Amino acid sequence: MHHAYIDKFAYQDSSIHRLDARVKFIITVVFTAVVISLPRTSVSILFCYAVGPFVVLVMGGIPLRFVLKHILYVSPFVLVLAFTGPWYDRTAAAVAFGPWIWHTTVGWLRCWSILGKFVVTMLALIALISTTRFANLLAGLQRLGMPRLLVIQMGFLYRYIFLLIDSAHHILRARAARSAGGVAFGRGVKFAAAMVGSLFVRSIDTAEHINAAMQARGFDGNWRTINRLEVRVADYVFIVIAACFIVGLYFFVKPVLG
Amino acid sequence: MVKAIKVENFSYKYPDGTIALNGVTLDVEYGECLALIGPNGAGKSTLLLAITGFVRGTGRVVIDGLEITNGNLKQVRSRIGCCLENPEDQLFMPTLFDDVAFGPLNMGLDSQQVKERVNLALAEVGLAGMAERAPHHLSAGQKRAAAIATVLSMSPKIITLDEPDGSLDPRNRNNLVKLLAGLSQTLVIATCNMDFAAAVADEAAVIDGGRVIAAGPAKKIMSDSKLMTSHGLEVPR
Repeated sequence: MHHAYIDKFAYQDSSIHRLDARVKFIITVVFTAVVISLPRTSVSILFCYAVGPFVVLVMGGIPLRFVLKHILYVSPFVLVLAFTGPWYDRTAAAVAFGPWIWHTTVGWLRCWSILGKFVVTMLALIALISTTRFANLLAGLQRLGMPRLLVIQMGFLYRYIFLLIDSAHHILRARAARSAGGVAFGRGVKFAAAMVGSLFVRSIDTAEHINAAMQARGFDGNWRTINRLEVRVADYVFIVIAACFIVGLYFFVKPVLG
Repeated sequence: MVKAIKVENFSYKYPDGTIALNGVTLDVEYGECLALIGPNGAGKSTLLLAITGFVRGTGRVVIDGLEITNGNLKQVRSRIGCCLENPEDQLFMPTLFDDVAFGPLNMGLDSQQVKERVNLALAEVGLAGMAERAPHHLSAGQKRAAAIATVLSMSPKIITLDEPDGSLDPRNRNNLVKLLAGLSQTLVIATCNMDFAAAVADEAAVIDGGRVIAAGPAKKIMSDSKLMTSHGLEVPR
């Protein structure tokens, strides 16, 4: 079974891939926080901010089609939120961009601001996930102080969610193979309940087996790992460039563009 | 003389009352490869769980001179490693390195020793250079080999393997036979595949209905067509 793994491109090799997971994570968080904190009238500056993650994605060799597809996957939620703006806030507003003046409403400005921030922050997030192996990201989060239990949970979730999806696919296929002519709604609901029950029992079985495998290898409740992350010169260079980009746009370009 | 594994009159019932093992007695010498053969539901996997201390019943199980008790499971498990039937259950960490390092880290080894053990174990199973791969990116054969590496890195004296040939194609099965033949540890392998058992085992024990029906040299046991067919097995080709 082939799944759309979120870190599909994280196993490539590039200067961006080789950067320390902690560095990439912190920069992504700071970048996201700055973009989100921009005033809702600052729409044009978002184009400038988009350049950062775009360059990272290109340097990391991440196909733009993959990026756009993933942005589209999650866009419905944001689209609903964004397009409610023009309905309830129709206060007139004017946007100046150089010699051009565009007459609109605050609601529409809010709408474009939400969409712009969504796309830019998603670009940054995809850049992080696609250039960082999930295992390194987890190790980085642990070193940054995230509770160990949460990191372990995330590791198990990532490791076993695909097996669970596989099991669900197998059950659905078995049903399809025996349901020529379609299935009535009532039976479909019954089947769904049975499938959830079956998956639940399988999950418990798997959990018991994993527990046995852990105990067989001396697990005593203390989770031990080796730190294999290392901040190198390239990481410091990346930090400086990213900081100049984020701060520079905020303090020097934003006042000009408004 | 101390045996690698000594099982004496061991019996176990499932919680629903079904008898899984009934008065099992079995000896395994050091360096031996024993195949536990028998039909489905014979009790092979339960016997492996009993040998590794996961199933506690009546009778004695002695591993490398150490009788399994509630208080010494950690010591026992440092001497005996087990590979579960499904390698997906065995490979629970995000990368192969972390999985193979899991056991040595729990043994209290330092980082350098752990790295050496991981590299050695991966090289031994033919997965050198794949330490950073995620388990879900491995093929079925590689997952099986990786599961064995997770045990080898702990340098146990004894290894149990439950249906290690399951869902492997002939090429991967042959690779597994070569891998197991090259191991110096005492091996106990539960399998329903007689060709596989014949290719790897020195000794064989026929298990059926929770009992050891016959035990002895693999060639002798597995060439007895009457014994084999009467327990739902077949003579290897």
